[in-house]
Amino acid sequence: MSTPTTNSVLSARDLTRHYSVSTGLFQPNATVQALNGVSFELAAGKTLAVVGESGCGKSTLARALTLIEEPSSGSLQIAGQEVTGANKAQRKQLRRDVQMVFQNPYASLNPRQKIGDQLAEPLLINTGLSKSERREKVQAMMQQVGLRPEHYQRYPHMFSGGQRQRIALARAMMLTPKVLVADEPTSALDVSIQAQVLNLFMDLQEELNTGYVFISHNLSVVRHVADDVLVMYLGRPAEMGPSEQIYQRPLHPYTKALLSATPAIHPDPSKPKIKISGELPNPLDPPTGCAFHKRCPYATEQCEVERPELRLIDSRQVACHHAETINS
Amino acid sequence: MSLLDIKNLSVRFGDANAVPVVDGLDISVDKGEVLAIVGESGSGKSVTMMALMGLIEAPGRVNADSLQFDGTDMLRLKGKQRRNIIGKDLSMIFQDPMTALNPSFTVGFQIEEVLRQHMGLKGKAARQRALELLEKVEIPGASSRLEAYPHQLSGGMSQRVAIAMAIAAEPKLLIADEPTTALDVTIQAQIMELLVNLQREQDMALVLITHDLAVVAETAQRVCVMYAGQAVEVGSVPELFNNPTHPYTEALLKAIPEHSLGAERLSTLPGIVPGRYDRPQGCLLSPRCPYVQEQCRQQRPALEAHERGAVRCFFPLNLTSEVA
Repeated sequence: MSTPTTNSVLSARDLTRHYSVSTGLFQPNATVQALNGVSFELAAGKTLAVVGESGCGKSTLARALTLIEEPSSGSLQIAGQEVTGANKAQRKQLRRDVQMVFQNPYASLNPRQKIGDQLAEPLLINTGLSKSERREKVQAMMQQVGLRPEHYQRYPHMFSGGQRQRIALARAMMLTPKVLVADEPTSALDVSIQAQVLNLFMDLQEELNTGYVFISHNLSVVRHVADDVLVMYLGRPAEMGPSEQIYQRPLHPYTKALLSATPAIHPDPSKPKIKISGELPNPLDPPTGCAFHKRCPYATEQCEVERPELRLIDSRQVACHHAETINS
Repeated sequence: MSLLDIKNLSVRFGDANAVPVVDGLDISVDKGEVLAIVGESGSGKSVTMMALMGLIEAPGRVNADSLQFDGTDMLRLKGKQRRNIIGKDLSMIFQDPMTALNPSFTVGFQIEEVLRQHMGLKGKAARQRALELLEKVEIPGASSRLEAYPHQLSGGMSQRVAIAMAIAAEPKLLIADEPTTALDVTIQAQIMELLVNLQREQDMALVLITHDLAVVAETAQRVCVMYAGQAVEVGSVPELFNNPTHPYTEALLKAIPEHSLGAERLSTLPGIVPGRYDRPQGCLLSPRCPYVQEQCRQQRPALEAHERGAVRCFFPLNLTSEVA
C-alpha cells in the first residue's frame, strides 16, 4: 500500500492538520492535533474506508482531501498533481477531480433550486457545454441513479432521504471525478434504504472507475464496500490494511475493541466481548505515549511513555508496541 | 396478567378519518421482560410509547380498547394521577441525551428532583441517593459530577445521567427510545450492557425502541416488528432472526450488510414506506413485497398467532404448519 502505484488517484503522505483554539482570555492558545501523520494510497476504482469514533479526525481528513482546508503539513497528490503549492488554475482542475457526498442529504441540497438545475450547475461552471447538452447529460445521470425524468423539475423537499442521497451522489458524479469522498453517506438512512444507496455507490464505481474514500463509523457497512480500511484513533492511524484481513484478524487492540463492540445479528457466543472502558480522551490534552493506553486492556508501562509508530506486520500497518505478543 | 397491555391502539393526527400513524397495535410486556420494537423511520414505534406516556397532544388522537399499565387504565387518568405514575413506575429515556437534560440545572439537582417528587427524599438523604445512582450507572468521579451541568458532560455521560434519573424511583417498566443511536459504537456497547444489567438487577421490564436489528439480537427476548404503523411480526429472539415469517422482516434482515458477506451487492427491498396519500388498498407491504399475490393487493391481512409468535401476512414464510 505504501508504494506508489501507477494508477494511484490519491496519495497522502504524512498529512497533518492542527487547529489553534482559544482557551480563554489572557490564556495562550492551545493546539488540537486533529490529524497527525496519515499516509495512504488510493487506486482508481478502489475504496478506502476510514473508520473511527467521533473526534478521531476522519472528517478533518475529508476536509483536507476535498481541498476545503489546507493541511498543516505533509503532501497530498490528486491524480499525480501536488495540492500544496498548486496555482489557481491547477486548483480549479483539482476541485473537479475530487467531489464529496455528505452525511445529511436534507442539508446538502439547496432547498430553493430545482434538482435539474442543481445537477447541471457543476457542468455550467466547469464545462463549456450548451444548455441542451447539459440537460441531456443531467437526464442521463438521473437515469443512472434511478431517478425519473419528471424529477428534473422538482425541489429537494419533494424527495425522501434515500432519494436525496441519490441526488447528492448524482451531483458529485456529474464531472466524473477521479476521487469521491463520502462522509457517512448512509448513517441518516434506514436499513432497507441504506442497502439501496450502498449498491448504487458500488454500481457507479464500477462504471466510472472512481476511487472512493468512504468515511464511516459503521463497521458492517465498511466491510461490504471497502478494499482497504484505515482505523483512526485521536487523529492518528491505528491500523491500516486490506479490509478482509482486518476483519478476519484485527491486530490493534482498538480495532479489536471496535469490532467486538459492533452488535451482530447472530452473535458468536464463543467470542468473548472485549470491553473497553472510558471515553475518547480530550484532544486538547492527549495522553502521553500511545493515545489508546488509558482504555487498552493490554497497556504496559512502555505504552504510557513511548508512542508506537506504524509498523508493517502481516502485510498491514499497525501502531501498537505489543501487536505481536497479544495476537500470538 | 402482564405488566403492560395495549390492545388495538390507534393514533391519528388530524380528524377521526385521518390516516393512522399507529394502526390497531397490540402489545403486551410481562414483568421483567425485554421487548424490542423495531421499525424504520415513520413506522410508529416512538408514537406508540408517547401515547402510553400521554405525550400526544392535539391534534393527535389516541384510541385504544385497552391501555393498561400495572392494572391502571392509562387512558382515563387525569393529569395529576398520571404524573404520579410516570417517572415512578413507568419511566423513559430518549435518543438525544444532550437535549433530554435541562441545561439550567446541575445533574445532582435533576436526579434529586425525581427523588423528591416520587420517593419523598429530601436534603442529605436525597443527595446521598443521587450519588449512589450515579455510581450505579458507572459514572467515574460521581461525587464531583453531581455539581456538573449537562454541557460539561459527553454524550455517553449524559445518557448515563438520563438513565440514573429514569431508574431513580425504581420503575417497573423502562422505555428506552433509541437510547444509543446518537452514540459511538464503543459507548453504545457500554450503555447497552448497563441497561441490561440494571434490568436484571432490578427485575424491571424494558421496552427497547430501535431501528438497529443487531442491537435487538444482542439484548431483547421478544421483538415486535412494525411497518407503516402496524405490527407485522411478533416473535422471540433468536427464532425471529433465524426464521423470519414476514417478508418485511426477512427483507430487513437481508438488507443488513452482515448478511451479504462476500456478495457483490446487498439484497434490497425496492421502493419506500408508503406515505400518507399513497397507502395501498391491500397489504401495506404489497407494492414492495417480492412474494406478492393477487389477494395481497385486494385485502389487508390481520395479525394472526402461530406456533412461534404472530404474523400479519396471508402467505407467511418458514412456517411448518398452517397459520392457526
